[in-house]
Amino acid sequence: MAGFTQRLPPPRTALLRSITDPRSTEVLDRGLVLWFPAPRSFSGEDSVEFHIHGGPAVVTAVLQALGSVPGLRPAEAGEFTRRAFQAGKLGLTEVEGLGDLIHAETEAQRRQALRQMSGELGRLYQDWSDRLKRCLAHVEAFIDFSEDELIEDGVLNRVDVSVSDLQAEIERHLKDERRGERLRSGVQVVIAGATNAGKSSLLNKLCQRPAAIVSPIAGTTRDVVETALDLGGFPVLLSDTAGLRDSSDLVEREGVRRARERVEQADLTLVVVDSAHLPSEVDRAAAFLREHLRSVLPDTDRCLLVLNKADLLPEKQRQKLDTELRGVSGLPAVRLISCQTNEGLKAFLTVLHSSVKTLCGDPLFGAPTLTQARHRAHLQRCAAALAQYQRYRDTDLALAAEGVRLAVTSLGRITGRVGAEEILDIIFKDFCIGK
Amino acid sequence: SHTKPHLVHVGHLTGHQYDVIVVGGGHAGTEAAAAAARVGAETLLITQKIHTIGALSCNPSLGGVGKGQLVKEVDALDGLCGRAGDWAGIHFSILNRRKGPAVWGPRAQLDRQRYRDFIQSELLSTPRLTMVEGSVEELLVTEPNPEEPGHHRVTGIRLANGSHAISARSVVLTTGTFLSGSLFVGQTTSPGGRIGDAPSSAGLSHTLRERLGLRTGRLRTGTPPRIVKDSVDLSLAKLHLPDSHPTPFSFLNTHTHCKPEEQLPCYLTFTTPGVERVVRESLQLNCHIQQDTKGPRYCPSIESRVLRFPGRSHQVWLEPEGVTSDLLYPQGLSMTMPPDIQLRLIREIPPMRRAEIHTPGYGVQYDFVCPTQLSPALQVKSTQGLFLAGQINGTTGYEEAAAQGLWAGANAARSALSMPTVTLSRTESYIGVLIDDLVSRGVTEPYRMFTSRAEFRTSLRPDNADLRLTPKGFEEVGCVSSVRYQESLRVRNSLQDALTALQALFLSTSSWKKKLPSVPISETKSTLLTGLDLLQYNDVTFEMLASAFPESLSSFMEFAQRLKIEAVYKPHCDLNKKEIERIQREENMSLPQDIDYFSLPVSLSDEVREILDRVRPSTLGAATRLEGITPAAVVNLLNYVRVTEKKKETHRNQRQQEAQRDEELCANSASLPQ
Repeated sequence: MAGFTQRLPPPRTALLRSITDPRSTEVLDRGLVLWFPAPRSFSGEDSVEFHIHGGPAVVTAVLQALGSVPGLRPAEAGEFTRRAFQAGKLGLTEVEGLGDLIHAETEAQRRQALRQMSGELGRLYQDWSDRLKRCLAHVEAFIDFSEDELIEDGVLNRVDVSVSDLQAEIERHLKDERRGERLRSGVQVVIAGATNAGKSSLLNKLCQRPAAIVSPIAGTTRDVVETALDLGGFPVLLSDTAGLRDSSDLVEREGVRRARERVEQADLTLVVVDSAHLPSEVDRAAAFLREHLRSVLPDTDRCLLVLNKADLLPEKQRQKLDTELRGVSGLPAVRLISCQTNEGLKAFLTVLHSSVKTLCGDPLFGAPTLTQARHRAHLQRCAAALAQYQRYRDTDLALAAEGVRLAVTSLGRITGRVGAEEILDIIFKDFCIGK
Repeated sequence: SHTKPHLVHVGHLTGHQYDVIVVGGGHAGTEAAAAAARVGAETLLITQKIHTIGALSCNPSLGGVGKGQLVKEVDALDGLCGRAGDWAGIHFSILNRRKGPAVWGPRAQLDRQRYRDFIQSELLSTPRLTMVEGSVEELLVTEPNPEEPGHHRVTGIRLANGSHAISARSVVLTTGTFLSGSLFVGQTTSPGGRIGDAPSSAGLSHTLRERLGLRTGRLRTGTPPRIVKDSVDLSLAKLHLPDSHPTPFSFLNTHTHCKPEEQLPCYLTFTTPGVERVVRESLQLNCHIQQDTKGPRYCPSIESRVLRFPGRSHQVWLEPEGVTSDLLYPQGLSMTMPPDIQLRLIREIPPMRRAEIHTPGYGVQYDFVCPTQLSPALQVKSTQGLFLAGQINGTTGYEEAAAQGLWAGANAARSALSMPTVTLSRTESYIGVLIDDLVSRGVTEPYRMFTSRAEFRTSLRPDNADLRLTPKGFEEVGCVSSVRYQESLRVRNSLQDALTALQALFLSTSSWKKKLPSVPISETKSTLLTGLDLLQYNDVTFEMLASAFPESLSSFMEFAQRLKIEAVYKPHCDLNKKEIERIQREENMSLPQDIDYFSLPVSLSDEVREILDRVRPSTLGAATRLEGITPAAVVNLLNYVRVTEKKKETHRNQRQQEAQRDEELCANSASLPQ
């Protein structure tokens, strides 16, 4: 990277440099490089900052290049804060604020992971993780028990085959041009609500073309309809979902299940309500909306309330609702619109745009590229660790096992932590050791 | 060499104030008493029968995979069991010999009598240590301070048979399986912790549960019948010979008491379908096996083995019990059925067709104290001065007991002498792994050590236990003699010098090829290689390098094997180092024990609060390892460690600066784990 071959720039001075990949020597970007020698840095350690152009391709490339440098790895959630704290750099209030930010970050990552985990990628990682855990358990059983107990011959040979298969699969996956990953980038906005509230009409309005079939029949949308759109410069993946209601129709029930899954994974949910169903009194309307939100969403932090079909309300009630519902506590931002007459649409778009902007502009937002680069780094580490198994297999099983352990840990950073007890459980399940 | 320990009469003790009282004379108790006395405490060991001090209640062996590491560490801290093993061993072998030095398992079959003799004579010659025969009726504690409800302080113990109260500032309980112990053979049950010994009084478990409010659980274990050696046809079993060169456990010993050629063999045989049939037919006569109390998964009874893995042949080791003993110990045949059926069962195994049982096998069920109620010093969190070690904490095994005993005893002494208690990190020792697992995760079944429990297994090797622990044991704990300390410094410096000398040998590959013609050194490598690089090659030994460069290396021949291991593991240990440092930093950040996690004004979910309240981790590091604790929760907890950290900060900064300077000084030479 910049500075590795040249002299270090003077401390705390921003310099424009070419940022090159140390392996391919390809120039990835031109950006500002700043370095902070210890102890005068955020964490009290030697630190370097790269200010690069924000496109997903550049960010991914730089993160990958950094990941390929020996000794570098992505920070874990909260790690910088902990290090800064340990160096005595943070006061009480700062720690508190950062705790909340880390919570937000891990939340965003959790949603991101959930999104990938429920897909094909998730199944792939989970399968690798299960196979690796089994490999580790078998090597550990051989180390800890084979002297007193009968561990069948051939256990290690089976591990050998498994490890080299896994290594090949992971390496192939890493070479795979990252197809499809980019499709997943963008803020995930999900339209949800009761049947016939006008969700599909809203989708069509937002993407300015009839992407979804609209009809007055409740339950028209049965599957998730996805549209990618550019909202004032921000990539948005907009999904229209089936109306939430109990149905005896199998297809519709599946649609409702998928709708709930989408809401769970969303960065932002637009809850659409038919305003004709609202009680006319403001207090009762607010109570109705709160109740309704609870049935749609686990929490109301990231949602906008869209009261559609405003054109069906008498003018007086429309104004009253519009002004008085905005200040009610316990409700998210509320906007009255009509997809029929376009009334209120412009104001709604402004609110939506600023919400999306906040999501994208938040440096801690779990941008898919960042998450993917992190996954990539862990997978690279995992494959390298499996090579260590092969290298030491015949000379030192403890060092070979260390390779499988590292591989499990690396993959565990994507799929979840694996403890010693879990490995012991597999040992006792698979071998004739113990009761 | 058998020294009969003299008995101190209880009457002499009244009114005497001890620093530390240790209750129990097993592996935990003897290590605890000896360690407390080494630290400088006036110590009293109370046991039911003086002559059973140091008895091996179950298997006649010490060490093994994972357990051997514990023995080496206890020895590095100047404990007894390593040297006792070297004295009493009659069959030494290093298990896992071909699997890499990090997982070698030093192990020995022991002569029961010699082991007991050694432990007893060691204790008798330990200054500040008194032993007395008696049964403890009651633990004496203060009424809790109204401001700290539930918090007591230990003041001493009361013995049964008479009202003698003996006061002490610390008490270490190492009661093994005697806490509400019951013995099971067939359908009969009797109170007790070991056959042939009186049950311990109910008063003690009453005090722990009712008075101190400690949560307890119940576990079970068992032991096999002892077989009359002459009645076994050993020609039908597979002979298993010891290592031809016995390796001592202790860092202070260069050879074992038993001469290589005097070692005794073991024998291997297998169960038959008849064994399974006898187990199945006698199930209704077997109380112990029907109970759902948790037993060990890894030292299971023969009943558990055949029921869980039917239709298979299971290994049975026939082990000698001593040089003059006429008994064999059938490892793998722990059983609890009626004695006549035990005889039928063993006779289903070919070498034992006509075997006679000397003592039948039996099962034990006993109470343990849930160890999450202990601090990392093994002190009961709610009772100042009360320490627990061994099976009472839910562990199984001599080595696990000895390790806890040593650590509890040293801390009990420190606490009594008004010194701060000390902890061992899981990053520096198996003892640390053991204690951390116990106090921060608790147990659901008897806990046994495995090498797979240690995250930093490649750094925590049996060969370097002295480098890891002896200096700390002397400088920070006070449980190591200066003789051993000086020896460890000599070893450390010699190894350091040897590594420096190896790195100073800096040759091209072609020069190396000339020096070591038998070694396949790749010619394509045009780089320079050091002697340390060469020593990492599979086929290169230190002896080969020393004969090529006698002037710089021959003085280190004593350490040839250790240097080879250091060289191979160095790159991996260097990789571990960063992670170890991170964990140690977090382990240095302690969380106050009196936090009310439910009212803490920070954003923590109810689930996290509940976990923290239940486990009450002692350090931020322990909190991080708990299941269900989020990174955000850990950062929010930083607020509460800061208070304790601030005080240490200046001191630590100084130390860090010194350490950094030292590091810079030896930046160019290889370093060893401290």
